[in-house]
Amino acid sequence: MPGITQNTIIVAEGGTNSTYHFLATTAELAEASQLTRWIEDHDILLYTHEGEVKALSNICRHFGGPVGYHKAKGGVFTCLWHNWQYASKDGACLTAPGLSLRQYALKIVGDNIYVNLLG
Amino acid sequence: MKRATLTLSCSREMDCPKEVVMWNYYDHEHLVGTHSKYYNHARILAERDDWALVWRNKKMPFLPLYTSGIGLQFMDSNVMRTFHKDSIGFLLEQETQFEDLPNDRCRVTVTYTIITHPIFKLFEPIFHRLFRSWFEEVWAEDAPMRLRRWKVYQLGFKDFSGIDYINRKLPKPAHLAVPKYEFKPPIKSLAKIKSAAGETRLASKGAELGYHDVG
Repeated sequence: MPGITQNTIIVAEGGTNSTYHFLATTAELAEASQLTRWIEDHDILLYTHEGEVKALSNICRHFGGPVGYHKAKGGVFTCLWHNWQYASKDGACLTAPGLSLRQYALKIVGDNIYVNLLG
Repeated sequence: MKRATLTLSCSREMDCPKEVVMWNYYDHEHLVGTHSKYYNHARILAERDDWALVWRNKKMPFLPLYTSGIGLQFMDSNVMRTFHKDSIGFLLEQETQFEDLPNDRCRVTVTYTIITHPIFKLFEPIFHRLFRSWFEEVWAEDAPMRLRRWKVYQLGFKDFSGIDYINRKLPKPAHLAVPKYEFKPPIKSLAKIKSAAGETRLASKGAELGYHDVG
């Protein structure tokens, strides 16, 4: 129904049903080009990279700092706490290779962006 | 010669165990990250167990100058004692007292003391203003760091790893065993801050979107 945001949607994919949680509207993302939201125990960094909407864990693998505190610069996120850096292309850790940020699967339905916490 | 003592105590409470705050005080790498508005360079000259000798270059609040200096810190039971000597020439003694409060809360009391020539007694109001401002501004930057650190710890976060079930795209375990938060100095750090180059701030300017840790 237009104007009403569902908190979750169920999507059939790969022979199973996946639950996607509402994360933000496309307008909210367009305004900031990058934002973070807690959904249950997940701190999620939502952003646009080369025209593609992406989501990474916002929890730095080092000490748990907020990766998306600063706006990405030159395709790189720099964590506020200790300057650990991650590629916005895929969450690869540039400071300690191998400690990448987990990526999240997204669905855009109308004006709403949904995230799969297990995908 | 008679000496004058300039002293100021500041106290605040935090919604996390005192051990998280102690971790924060011993995490020297965060100086050029969390506090990059003030610190532009830091280097651990030496550290063993609960004592550390750290070189820092920083800007003081409302003073248009950078000062560099060294600080020695160590624990004396629940009190952290720090001696700072910087290029201005004063020896600043800092006593940081940590107290447990109910419900995983704590109180932190910092006492700043400078023992100096009697003429500087005239400047005590400036000393009070400067160090109260320093305490409040640094506290405001550290508070969300401590609260978030405590929050992710309770979710099972492990240093240099993360939250296992989130990284592995698994549901949260029904029974997540989270041991009591322990403070075990020295804090593990990358080699760079211990090298001659030290650690330099990367993000002193740029757009800040901030913390969104409510929820």
